[in-house]
Amino acid sequence: MTVPAVVLSICLSFSSFAALALSLDRHHRAVFRVPAPRNRTRGLRVAGWCGLAVAFAASVACSGWNFGPVQWIGGLTGAALLVVAVMSYRPAWLRAAAVAALPLAMLALPFALGS
Amino acid sequence: MSHAPRKSFRQSMAWLHTWSGLVVGWVLFAIFVTGTASYYRTEISHWMRPELSAPTADPATAATRAAAFLGRTMPDALAWSVKLPTAEHPTAEVYWWNNPAGPYHHALLDPATGEPSHARDTKGGDFLYRFHFELSLPPVWGRWIVGICAMILLVSLISGIVTHRRIFADFFTFRRDKSAQRGWLDAHNVVGVLALPFHLMIVYTGLVELGPLLMPWGVKAAYQDDILAYYAETGIMAAGRKPAGQPGTLMPLGEIVARATAAHGEVPEVVMVTGPGDAAASVTAFFEEPPGLAHLHPQIVYAGDTGAELSRTGDVAAATRTGAVMTGLHEAHFAAAPLRVLFFICGVMGAATIASGLVLWTVARAPKGADPAGFGLRLVRILNLGTIAGLPTGLAAYFLANRLLPLDLVGRADWEVRGFFAGWMLAALAALLYPKARAWPAALGVAALAFLAIPLVDALTINETRFLGFDAAMLAVAMLLALGARLASRPRRQMRAAQPNRSRAVEA
Repeated sequence: MTVPAVVLSICLSFSSFAALALSLDRHHRAVFRVPAPRNRTRGLRVAGWCGLAVAFAASVACSGWNFGPVQWIGGLTGAALLVVAVMSYRPAWLRAAAVAALPLAMLALPFALGS
Repeated sequence: MSHAPRKSFRQSMAWLHTWSGLVVGWVLFAIFVTGTASYYRTEISHWMRPELSAPTADPATAATRAAAFLGRTMPDALAWSVKLPTAEHPTAEVYWWNNPAGPYHHALLDPATGEPSHARDTKGGDFLYRFHFELSLPPVWGRWIVGICAMILLVSLISGIVTHRRIFADFFTFRRDKSAQRGWLDAHNVVGVLALPFHLMIVYTGLVELGPLLMPWGVKAAYQDDILAYYAETGIMAAGRKPAGQPGTLMPLGEIVARATAAHGEVPEVVMVTGPGDAAASVTAFFEEPPGLAHLHPQIVYAGDTGAELSRTGDVAAATRTGAVMTGLHEAHFAAAPLRVLFFICGVMGAATIASGLVLWTVARAPKGADPAGFGLRLVRILNLGTIAGLPTGLAAYFLANRLLPLDLVGRADWEVRGFFAGWMLAALAALLYPKARAWPAALGVAALAFLAIPLVDALTINETRFLGFDAAMLAVAMLLALGARLASRPRRQMRAAQPNRSRAVEA
């Protein structure tokens, strides 16, 4: 439940939710101006759901079975809210933000596991 | 609403969601706002008692001095309770009572002297905490009303999930550029769905917490009126002794605190003396809950005259532990700072779900063209304005009253509470007088200004760096309300330019 653990959880969930959002035509169009191609939709969906699973595993690894799931759900809500905010106000930034969140998650990982 | 002779299941659920949400929405908004603020109850109490900084005596000495004060005040009480000073709570907080139904007398003692503290008289964050489940009404009434509202909220949540046809497809959808009704519906869906795990958890665990009050008959049938026996058998509380009916002397309370500290390896949080004037007095030491989700305080009971250990809590059964985990989840005592922020955000989203739902009700029913608004619509609009914009103004007034009221005012704590209600009512009445088109930006703007005044007034009166965090949070709330005021004023202009005939809809 330390700051790095929560940052890790939010970053992973943010990228995953961004992938899931981009797998939907309406949002893909808002970001890239074209509907999502079929094969990309599937890739984004798989990546998104796997990412959420990884976020769950990371939360449990950092905070244990007791607090991990609670922290994961809190992170999901926070991350999804961020995705909606970016999507509504700066859709063009979504891809860059989702990519940037991954190295940030990697950066937080050692601190999150160490604590 | 369909006029077809038979409604589909989803249509009935939509009807249920709309009306169940409306009838209790205003009370629920107040419950969510004060409950969310209660995640920072300690911080609020600190800010509201700026005179207190660090405890000036060790817990054992403070306990002995508190017992001396209580012995002078009410030697024949049914029970005393002493919350020992810590770095977070620098005073010894004592309660004493002669009747389990109350009244409960209360004082903050300076640990160094054992006399009532010189800190300003205030209820601090406890007022918001109690308002969250008692609404400033007599406790039993308040809890019944909150319990009924929570049950209706649960109904509203479930029917809302059924009604929402496109939960996954619209998961991230917030269309600001479409009609006002679409925008409000999207906002309601987004804040409702994204924090849905929290909403379901908080209303369900809240109901479980109120459960024994709402459904007392099971315990009553098995234990009659001996609620303490129930607590003892379930392991919630360690059993004490029956009173002897003869006067006795209590050993120094600090001595028992020292024993408890040695026995458990940490200083107790609270010590409670049952029958302090009785020969068979017992002293229960309550310890901080161990790490985990469950909200269960380990206890050791000592004989008040000899200091011998009488009993202690052990492992509890599954049902009790489940209940304790639910209480723990609801109150989030376990949550360290970063997770607490997430709980707080979820709480704000809960309040936002209710507020957007209430506004949506009026937007969806806004008369088209030149039709006059009916009485029901006007009533809901006024109540919406008075609650959603009025309550934050009341909160700000409560904090401002804490800094601005004279320190020697008689009944100062009650005047702060009156400040809360006065601020709320004034803001609500003023909302009635604004021209309808400008009511929302004006009312939210007033609330934003009131919150903006808090850090300024604090800087002029107390001005201590340890309150910078609180003041920054108040500034953030002010910004949020100002943003709301801006959003409320902007779409009207846009809509008017785009669709002249729809512009009335957003004025709701």
